[in-house]
Amino acid sequence: MDIDSPAPKRRRTSSHSSTASSRDLSPNRPRSSHNSSFEPRRAYQGRESSRSTSRSGSEEPDRGRRSWQTHDALRGRRESRENRENTSSDGGTPRSRSSSPDSLPRRPLPLLTPTPPPTSSKHLKFKPIPDGTLRSHARGITCIRFSPSGEYLASSSADATINIHSTTHPFPLLKTLTGHLAGINVLAWSPDSRTIASGSDDKSIRLWDVASGKAHRVPLLGHHNYVYSLAFSPKGNMLVSGSYDEAVFLWDIRPTGGNIMRSLPAHSDPVSGVDFIRDGTMVCSCAGDGLIRIWDTMTGQCLKTLVDEDRKPVASVRWTANGKFVLAWTLDGCVRLWDYREGRCVKTYQGHVNTQYSLSGTMGQYALAGRREAFVASGSEDGEVLAWDVSTKEVLWRAKGHSKVVLGLDFQRGKDGKGMLVSAGLDRTIRFWEECDEVDDTDEPPGLVNGDSYVDAPDENIKRLRLNEREDEVMEELELKTEPEET
Amino acid sequence: MLQVVSNSFLRKIFGAQDHPDTLINVLRSGHAIALRFSRKGDYLASGRVDGKLVIWDMQTMSVALKMHGHFKQVQSISWSRCGRYILSAAQDWRAILWDLADASRVRIVKFQAPCYMAELHPYNHNLFICALFEDTPFLVDITNAKPVKRVLPSNPLMDNSLSSKDGKHTTCAAIFSLHGNHILTGTNKGYINIIETETRTIIHSAKISSGLITLLRLSSNGRSLLVNSTDRIIRVIHLPDLTQIRPSNAVPNQDEDTDPGTVAENITLSVEHKFQDLVNRLRWNHTTFSHSSSNSSSDYVTASTYMKKDIYIWELSTNSLLRILENSEEPAIIEWHPSRPLIATTGIETGGIQFWGIEPQQKWSALAPDFAEVEENVEYTEREDEFDEYPEEERTKRRLDREDEEVDIFTIEPTKADEEEAFVLPVIIGVDQESDDDDELVPTGVGTMRKKEANEGREWEESVEPAVVARRRAR
Repeated sequence: MDIDSPAPKRRRTSSHSSTASSRDLSPNRPRSSHNSSFEPRRAYQGRESSRSTSRSGSEEPDRGRRSWQTHDALRGRRESRENRENTSSDGGTPRSRSSSPDSLPRRPLPLLTPTPPPTSSKHLKFKPIPDGTLRSHARGITCIRFSPSGEYLASSSADATINIHSTTHPFPLLKTLTGHLAGINVLAWSPDSRTIASGSDDKSIRLWDVASGKAHRVPLLGHHNYVYSLAFSPKGNMLVSGSYDEAVFLWDIRPTGGNIMRSLPAHSDPVSGVDFIRDGTMVCSCAGDGLIRIWDTMTGQCLKTLVDEDRKPVASVRWTANGKFVLAWTLDGCVRLWDYREGRCVKTYQGHVNTQYSLSGTMGQYALAGRREAFVASGSEDGEVLAWDVSTKEVLWRAKGHSKVVLGLDFQRGKDGKGMLVSAGLDRTIRFWEECDEVDDTDEPPGLVNGDSYVDAPDENIKRLRLNEREDEVMEELELKTEPEET
Repeated sequence: MLQVVSNSFLRKIFGAQDHPDTLINVLRSGHAIALRFSRKGDYLASGRVDGKLVIWDMQTMSVALKMHGHFKQVQSISWSRCGRYILSAAQDWRAILWDLADASRVRIVKFQAPCYMAELHPYNHNLFICALFEDTPFLVDITNAKPVKRVLPSNPLMDNSLSSKDGKHTTCAAIFSLHGNHILTGTNKGYINIIETETRTIIHSAKISSGLITLLRLSSNGRSLLVNSTDRIIRVIHLPDLTQIRPSNAVPNQDEDTDPGTVAENITLSVEHKFQDLVNRLRWNHTTFSHSSSNSSSDYVTASTYMKKDIYIWELSTNSLLRILENSEEPAIIEWHPSRPLIATTGIETGGIQFWGIEPQQKWSALAPDFAEVEENVEYTEREDEFDEYPEEERTKRRLDREDEEVDIFTIEPTKADEEEAFVLPVIIGVDQESDDDDELVPTGVGTMRKKEANEGREWEESVEPAVVARRRAR
């Protein structure tokens, strides 16, 4: 089974069905996933697609495992859902949504790339590094980052600690930074790799001295709610933070306890992502309100707002390395590349599952026939890790290693030129992947899912983007909650 | 390229105005008396009356570094091209070269008189010129620990009768030309001398003013010289391209005709602009060129004046006074940011640093992408297919199919700004606690303070190089 070549016909998920699939209550799904090395890929089947692919599915070798679920079950689900919606509208529940009850978020987007050739012209492949699975956190891992120097790997977790691992095999744990009073959502390395900033559910941002492993005495206080996203300025003199209190703060970190230089009246929903452009002149932020805003660092002016027609909640955002584009993860299962100057979406990457969590990812370069090509990599809520070619949008590589949502991903190229990818998520493991050459193209299955299933599920809400309780979203939430019981 | 890309993006957004008009910030650390922006403009160095140097981060508008070395008022500051070294000259007869990476003193050069000013060679931070109070100026080579001082001539290149009539000249201001091949000096009798750096000989002199020349400044393209003089006139002088001038020690080539433009004898200095206040006969304290616009020539000249709180801005293209900014206190040193419409001035009374800039206006269309700002009402013409309804699927598919361009997310087109100054000041977290020294008062207990003693907090003076201490003892 060639799981590396992208599936020829792959549909985006509807948020609805994958939400259900992330809950173990669905009757269509085995109770525990650990006895199956491949999670059911419900996520890839929209309604229409399930119909068509199940008819033609037998021709496609890799359809086999993906269409694991009979489409009748799916259709049944859909019908029951529609019935419910109809009854709810019949019952006179006021709905702000004027469009069809099954409005945009649940409609699968059509296929994005024309059917790719069976053998991909572009090649990028990672394989798990032996013994490259670390279990140093007691709860789900929210963010994972290589230091700019390449020596260290820092991971933050809902267990309120940050672990620093070495990036040389066998990746020993060097330090554990403790001090936060609640789970840590995000971490950021200063450009000199000497300081780590972390944002936590205890509403504070802490700066850590990596050499000593100690936090600076006074945390950066000012946010009224969970600190959810953070980024260092390229000179290391400023931090930008986004919070559940819907504000974006620009911090001057030099004074003790920091100094809020600017508070940007950013969004009307939790700020899910922030980033600095490479020369530090601009900041971007995104939020559950579906907006991506570009800010001038010096003046705090909003320079541009990027918004998709559908205004899907944006889960995280990053500038590209050259600062010409903004890469944004949205909860409709897309990663979009925006030309911020024209305010235009230039690329849409699909194939992963992203409906609730603030997934994030990374960008890197790979060689193709002597040329350097760029890829975008992202985690997925079904535990997969994917990489797309930036220009062609085709999925270059996908593999399953994690048993739960992959929240963090980072890539670096070592001094020997070998690419190293690292992923982490709610299954509490950190996994190292190394780039492998075309020659040692073995068909061994990528990272096996070993039974990392937890009976307790306290991690369910980690990095889950909870939106403001606007009417329509409340409705949505209710639907999501009630749905499993109904089916 | 990004700097340029984003700046042009920003410029497009912020509009065309390129001169400051509002007081936007006031910063204080001690009593600032000297100011200088780094070449890229991301840092500002201020020298204080008590001899300390403060480096300000222009992004955060806060203190990035404090350095202790001089024990009298700092007279001038000069940045190296890379932005890592700065040279400070003070009234304690010393010039110090600092390494900002660790705030250490790389070289300390002692003179026989207080320094007026010192300036680093534009490409070699181990070479500087120094103009001294009633002493000859020096070209100092500090490559080795022991500085090599070479005297620069002050008396203009003139026929003897003239110069003897004028008496002895002293140099009050000295700067390097754009590439450092020449030194431009101004004397107390109003002469400008052009000195060849290598041979230290004057190749051209011209009498510009009847008063003492207090300040020289070069525009960023090196072709305009700003001269402030005690005769109450600010002049902008057009310079020839000094890099074209044939070195005086070059073997003259007999065979071919030499281009007259390359002969030092043919240099003429012409005054392009004169700025003065004919009514009030104002004396100008300090003056500077504006940042350079796209064609790398400055558009404005700004100046501070004595006994008034005004900042004057002249426009070079129209040769006229553009604006008078009313400051809150009398400005002394006035500096224009190298790339932005931003002016920094020191206040004479308080020693604070005032920043004048442009108050940004939020464009509301930036907040809502489907809004556009129009000057006047426009009749809307509907696109042919604007309200056509397509099935959702098809629409999305079309949209996705349109995304077929090649994108490059990594290539960074290099810019001048990128290659010039890569140095980034280390970030010291808790910089405000390290140096406590700004207050005259020190806490002694809960709610009680005492005045600082005269030499308190000056322990660093003991750490001055042993050689200096020894010499001081010997004296």
